[in-house]
Order: sequence, then C-alpha cells, then structure tokens
Amino acid sequence: MSTSAQEILGTSRREGRRLMDLWWQRMTEAAQTGHPAAYVFVMAPLSELLLTFDFVINAPEITSLQTAIRGQSQAYIQLAEDYGFSPDICGYVKADVGVQLKQGEHPYGRVPKPALVVTNNVCNTYIKWAEFWEHYYGCPVFTFDLPGWRGRESLREGTEAFRETFENDCRYVLGQLRELVELCERVTGKPFDIDRFREHLREANRMAELYHAVCDTNRHVPAPFNAPLEGVTYQGIANLYRGTPEGTRYFELALEEMRERVRLGMAAVPDERFRLVLVGTACYSHFRRFVELFSSWGGVFVHSTYMVFAGGGFLPGFRYDLSRPLESFAEQMVRATYWGWTGAMFYQQEWLDQVVRDWKVDGICFHGVKSCRTTSTGLPDVREWMRVQRNVPGLFIQSDLVDPRLWSDAQIKNRVDAFFEALAAHKATAGR
Amino acid sequence: MLVAGIDVGATYTKVVLCHDGKVLGRSLSPTGFNFARAAERGLSAALESAGLRREDVGYVAATGYGRHMVPFRDLALTDLTAQAWAIHRLYPDARTILDIGGQNVKAIRVDERGRVRAFRLNDKCAAGSGAFLEKTMRYMGYTAADIARLAEAAQDPAVVSSVCAVFAESEVINHLVAGRSAEDVCAGAIVALAGRAGQLVKRLRGEPQYVLTGGLTRVPLMRRCLEQDLRVSFVVPPEEEGVYAAALGAAQLAQERLRRTAQRATA
Repeated sequence: MSTSAQEILGTSRREGRRLMDLWWQRMTEAAQTGHPAAYVFVMAPLSELLLTFDFVINAPEITSLQTAIRGQSQAYIQLAEDYGFSPDICGYVKADVGVQLKQGEHPYGRVPKPALVVTNNVCNTYIKWAEFWEHYYGCPVFTFDLPGWRGRESLREGTEAFRETFENDCRYVLGQLRELVELCERVTGKPFDIDRFREHLREANRMAELYHAVCDTNRHVPAPFNAPLEGVTYQGIANLYRGTPEGTRYFELALEEMRERVRLGMAAVPDERFRLVLVGTACYSHFRRFVELFSSWGGVFVHSTYMVFAGGGFLPGFRYDLSRPLESFAEQMVRATYWGWTGAMFYQQEWLDQVVRDWKVDGICFHGVKSCRTTSTGLPDVREWMRVQRNVPGLFIQSDLVDPRLWSDAQIKNRVDAFFEALAAHKATAGR
Repeated sequence: MLVAGIDVGATYTKVVLCHDGKVLGRSLSPTGFNFARAAERGLSAALESAGLRREDVGYVAATGYGRHMVPFRDLALTDLTAQAWAIHRLYPDARTILDIGGQNVKAIRVDERGRVRAFRLNDKCAAGSGAFLEKTMRYMGYTAADIARLAEAAQDPAVVSSVCAVFAESEVINHLVAGRSAEDVCAGAIVALAGRAGQLVKRLRGEPQYVLTGGLTRVPLMRRCLEQDLRVSFVVPPEEEGVYAAALGAAQLAQERLRRTAQRATA
C-alpha cells in the first residue's frame, strides 16, 4: 500500500471525531457564555437558515443517541421517568429530558439552553418534545406544519395534481419560513442576511452531492463501509455541519477515502458474505454488539433507511436554486417531507426495491423500535411485500433506539443466527 | 462415527446420540442456570442410556439458547434450523412447523428440502409461551403435568385477554377470586396461548402440511384450539420425536456435515 493510500484510510473517522468534538466544544461554550442555541430535529433540519443568524445548533436526537453510545442512556432515561415520563415514551425524548434535568450535563460536554426551538410535525413526538422545552425554559417554539400526508396519486411527479399540490405546499411552507426569519431576527437581534444564507445553500448543494456519492460507493462489492457504523458519523456531520465549508470538506475526505477503499478492495466486513439493508436505526445502547451480530456472519449493511430520512434532509438529485434562496429552501423542505416522510418512511418498499437491485442486497433487517411507533408501524407489511413480490428475505428484530432495558441479547441473537442460516440456503438456491 | 445433538433449551436440555442415522440414546433433564453443566449432564445421561462412553462421541452439535455455552461443541446452530431439518426427515411433506416451547413459540416455514424459508418468533413477552402456562398452574397449586387433565375437564374456559404475562396472571387471580374453577382458568390460559401461537402461523402465511411440536403438544385442547382457529389440521409427532426434534436435527445435520466433509476429502 502506498504512503498516500495509508494517509487517506481512516481520515473520515478521524476527521468525523474531530468535528464532533469541535461541535461539543461550541455547545459547551454556548452553555457557559449564553450564546444563542437553536434546537432542531434531524428530519427537516434548518441549519442553512439558523447558521445565518449564528445560532449554535443542537440536534437533540444526536445528543440522545450519544448518551447511549457512551453507555449512559439508562441513567438519563430513568431520571426522566422519575420526573413523570411514561416508559412507553420515545427513548430519545427521555434521554434528552434527563440531560436537561441535569442542567445540560452530558457525557460529551454541556448542552446549552435553547434560545429558540424549531420543531415540525414530521414526527408527532417532536411537538410534545418541544412542549417540554417550552415549559421547562420558557423559550420560543416555532412549529412547522409540513404537508406530507397526501393521497399517493397526487405525489406522482409530472401530473397536474402534483404540480398544483406542490405549488400550494411550497407557498404554505414559504409563508412559515418568513415568519421564522422574523422570529430569528427578534431572538438574535440580527437582520437576515440573504447573501450569507445563499452561501450556506451553496455549501449544502455541494455537501448533498458528496453525501450521495459516498452512499453510492457502497454499491461496490465488497462494501467499503458499514452503514450503521460509518453512517452514524455521516448523519451527524450532515445534520450539524450542513451548509458549512467544514461539512463539505468532511464529505470530500470521506468520498476520497471510500473510493480508495474500493480501489484497494478493502471491505468494511472482512470476508463479506451477505449484503444487507437496515430498515430503522441500530440500537445505540448496544451499538457495537448490534453490528457485530451481523458482521460475525460476514454480513455488512450496505445502506439504511436512516441514512435517507435522517441524513440531514439531503434529497437525492435536489439542488437549491441560488437565485431565489428562500423559495428554493421551501421547495427543498416540501420535497424532503414528501420523500422522507411519505416515500422513505411509509412507502419504503419502493426505495428498498431499488436499493436491493442497485446495492446488490441479499436480505433486509427490519429493526422495530419499541418506543417509536412512527418508524416501526408498517415494517411487517413492507417485509411481507419484499418477500412475496421480490423474494427478498427479511429479518424482524425489536429493541429500542437508546433504552438498554429493551435489548434482549439471547433472543435477538437467536433470530439473527436463524436468519443467516436460512439466508445461506436462500442464496444457494437463488444461485447468488 | 457417533454424533451427539445437544439442545440446551431455556427449560430443558435434550440430548440425542446418533450413529449412521440411527438413534442410539437420548436424555431429557432440566437445564438449570449453568448451560455448560446441563449439556455435560445431559450427554452423560444419554451415553448411560445407550451403554456408551464419552470417548465414543466423535462430533457434538449444539443447538438451543445455550448452544454457545457448550464448551465441547464442534458446531453450533439455531434450534430453528435443527428442528426444521428433523421434522422434514420425519414428515417430508411438512411445510409449516409450530413449536410451543418453554420460553419461545416458533412458527417455521420450510421448503421441500427441509431448509428454513421464513420464521416468526413470539415477542419478548412470555405471555405466548409455555412458561406462562406453567406459572398459571403453579399459582393455582398444580404442576405442568396436570394441564391436560384440567383442561379437558373445563366446562366454560375463562377469558384471559391480556397480552402481558404479568397482567394475565392478575386476570387469572381475578377469575379465581370470582369463583371460577381451576379447570376453566387452565383452559382459558390455553385458549389465550393458542391464539397467540396461531397468530404467528397466520403472519407466516403457513402452508400445509402443518406439524405441531413442543412440550404442549401433549395437551389435546391446545391442538383443538389451533386447528379451529387456523382451520387446518396439525400432524403431532409422537411425544418423544416432538420434544427431541431440535436435538435430533442437530445430530442429523452434524452427520450431514461429516458426510460432506468426507466427500470433499475423497474428491
């Protein structure tokens, strides 16, 4: 291996860690100095706009999953339950509430209080979650009403019904965006600088291209990265550094590294035997174990739905029109909602069907999340569709995003092992 | 070569000794908390039943929940694969297997070669497993051995609707407090269990021939409820074959592996 190749390998992991540390440093400084922080969610992130006003961005889904990766989520969750939250409530919410109840104390640093919360209806829990911050801090909360639920036919691009629906929806969201701009001006005391906003959009365009190019490298056999492992960093950077030169640079490095890995034939999972897609998230309290259960069989996740609908809102093929920034931003939000909410979340079989073909997938793992109805509803139907219509085997396991009490190792391992035993036979029969 | 199939289940450990496809010995013993010791104990008992010695065993295939805890195993495989294989050898037309075990209920669909094509397992909750029934019996002062007798004597099965074993236990207590007989409560628990097990077969979209295995196959009411609910007929293997299916399948698969290895060596 050449010296230059050696330098490239591992850069995305190192740089990802550096950027996440830097983000925590900024968060902690904001907590100490009172610099305005905005809370936003990974489905419909608004970094380009919020960065224009110099907000430090907090993505509570990310801070929550990090408590689990550090093996500390249970303590935070139990704190929230002691406070009165039911065991059935979303694990992300409870982990975050636990952090807030401890004055922002987090294993990676300190979470600042919100100067502004921007929520939306893409996940119904978001609204209740934001209500907690509003109640606890008395901060302003802006709720986007994003139109995603429509009859399937009206979402068929190219039809008159689509054009009419889309234009109406964009006008509706644009009106809300203008209200948010006014609110941001009031909270920060800074006027909206449309040229600065445009620059963030320009960076986001470049970042989105790179993000998808990185995902595309996993079409190669063997796959250069394992979607839940590297993907969690990709999603972190895509959300927290969206629209910034640092984010763009990160994905340039990641792409360079993955292409190098492809060139050298380096596999994310040595002796790759099975190529899988993960529907849902990993269980972050057992993150390494989750991946290991599959990789020990030579199974690699070449893609995941989470990389799509929580991947910073990077819509495949979409580019901001820099000549009309706010309008184009509204269009992106509408399209991302159509795609992420209706397409990637509720009509997953269409996306899965394509990924199975293009990423040469052998089987699909559906991970139902006990404390999340939104992402778990319909998984058995999609599994059935893929099995009956496409003869693609599926595995259904259930645990949680961050709550270790809902992880049952022996039962999950038995399901995973039996799945691979059957998959080996299926693959032999299918001649793959 | 003598091979041993050891099924270290959550409740019982089953061992089958095979040579050239013939079963030479077997044993059934409670697993307890130490899986390795349960496997060792079970193997010793099976060897004793066959009049064989430890050093006669050339290959060990472990299955069941404790399969990875058997230190002297040569092969570990899931009970789903092992069971499917054994049942297929016994019933070549079998396409759907429903196994109701102590901690687990499994619905397995197999192909014409006995390979697992799809499976559904019960949720983490124990309300759909034999352990729930055992717990109910214990609470009423009976044992698992009384289940069939009590269930057959029931006049009007009590409704046990909860999907949670803990809540179901409260329902059982309420029924007893309300004066319902132990027979009716026992039958009600079986009806509830059969309903949950049948659901797995429906989700799996089972196909004939249907085979019912596991410790609860000896309860006629369980079979009747399932047949009525699913509108299918179940083949129920003789008790020994049903209970030992996974251990037998593990032993058979071990023999198959040895056969293939020998073939490859010859080629």
